[in-house]
Amino acid sequence: MKDKNEQIDLLLERNTTEQLQTVDWDRLNAAISGRLDQARQRKTPWTCRSTAFKIAAGLVAAAATVLLVVLVRTDTPTGMRFENGGRAVVEFIESKGSASIQIRPIAAKSQVSIDIGGSCREVAKCNIEIIDVKQEQQKNGRRPTWIIIRMPEPVLADNGTSRDEMDLMCLL
Amino acid sequence: MNDGQKANTSDIERLVKASQAGDRNSFDKLVRLYQRRVMRMAVRMLGNANEATEVVQAGFIKAYLGIGKLRQPKQFEIWLLRIVTNVAISRARAAKRRAEKVKVAGYYDNKNNLSPVERASTRELKEAIKQAMLKLSKKEAKAIALFGLKDLSHREVSEIMGCSVEAARWHVFQARQKLKGLLKDHL
Repeated sequence: MKDKNEQIDLLLERNTTEQLQTVDWDRLNAAISGRLDQARQRKTPWTCRSTAFKIAAGLVAAAATVLLVVLVRTDTPTGMRFENGGRAVVEFIESKGSASIQIRPIAAKSQVSIDIGGSCREVAKCNIEIIDVKQEQQKNGRRPTWIIIRMPEPVLADNGTSRDEMDLMCLL
Repeated sequence: MNDGQKANTSDIERLVKASQAGDRNSFDKLVRLYQRRVMRMAVRMLGNANEATEVVQAGFIKAYLGIGKLRQPKQFEIWLLRIVTNVAISRARAAKRRAEKVKVAGYYDNKNNLSPVERASTRELKEAIKQAMLKLSKKEAKAIALFGLKDLSHREVSEIMGCSVEAARWHVFQARQKLKGLLKDHL
C-alpha cells in the first residue's frame, strides 16, 4: 500500500518537475507584470479621486458583482417583475438539467428558493432583476425571460461541476 | 526561492504592507518570490504547465486587486495559495466541461533528446495525469497538490482548504486511492 502511495507521489512529482523545467520564467514574469499594469490602469482613476469618492468606490468594489444569467421559462405575463413573488422553471443554457426557482420579495432584496433535481432545496438572498424577452408566446404558454442574479464575487470562488449549477449553487 | 520551498524571508510582511499601500514594485517582488512555488502547486493540480501558467497569472491578478483586504500580511502565502487553488479548480472544471484537449505547446515540450517512442510515452503520461486529476473532487485535487509543496505544514494545508487537518489528510488518502486506479497502467 505504502509503495503504491509513494509511486503515485513520485509520478506526480516527476511530472510536475519535468513540466516546470520547460517553463520560461522570464516570460511568465513578464506576462504577469503586463497584466498587473493593465489591472493598475483600471484602478488608477479610482485612486485619483477625493477621499469620499474613494470610500464610496471602495464600497462598490467590495460588493463587486457578477452577473449570473440563466434562461427562465415562465408563464407570467409580460412586464411582470416579481414584485409579488413568483415561480419559474430554470432551464440551464450551458448544461443539461433543470431547476425550479421561487422568488419572494423581502425588504431590499429578494429571497430565492431553488430546487435542483427535486432533491436539493436551499434559500438565498440576492439582488434579482427580471428582463422579459420580447418574443412571441410559445405553444405551451411559456415565454423566455432572462433573470439576472447579482452576487458578490467571493461567493463564486469555489465552484461546482457545472457553470450553471455552480452559479445557482453559489447563491446558497 | 526554490519552487518547492517556503519563503522564509522576514521581508514578506514588509512587502505585503507596502503593496497594500500601493507600492507596485513591492508586489512585483512578491510575484518573483512566489511564482515558482505557486506554479509548482498549479502544475501539480492541473497536470499541465500551459493551463497552470494561465491560472498563476489570473491568481496573481486577483491577489493584486484584493491585497488590500488581507488583514494579516504574514498570512500572505496561505491567502495566495487559497486564491490560486480556487482559480485552478475553476479552470479544471471548465476544462472538464469542454472536454478540452489542449495540446502541449512546443516550448513546453521541447524534449528533443528523447526518441519518438519516448516522446509519445511522455505525452501519454502527461495526458493521463491531467485527465486523472480532472476526475478528482475539488477537495481531493487541492489536497494532493498542496501536500506536494515542501515546507507547507498540514495545518497550513488545512487552512488553505478551509477544513480540519484530519479532513485534509482524508482527501489526500482518497485522491491517492483514485489515482492508483486511474494511473495503474503507468505505475
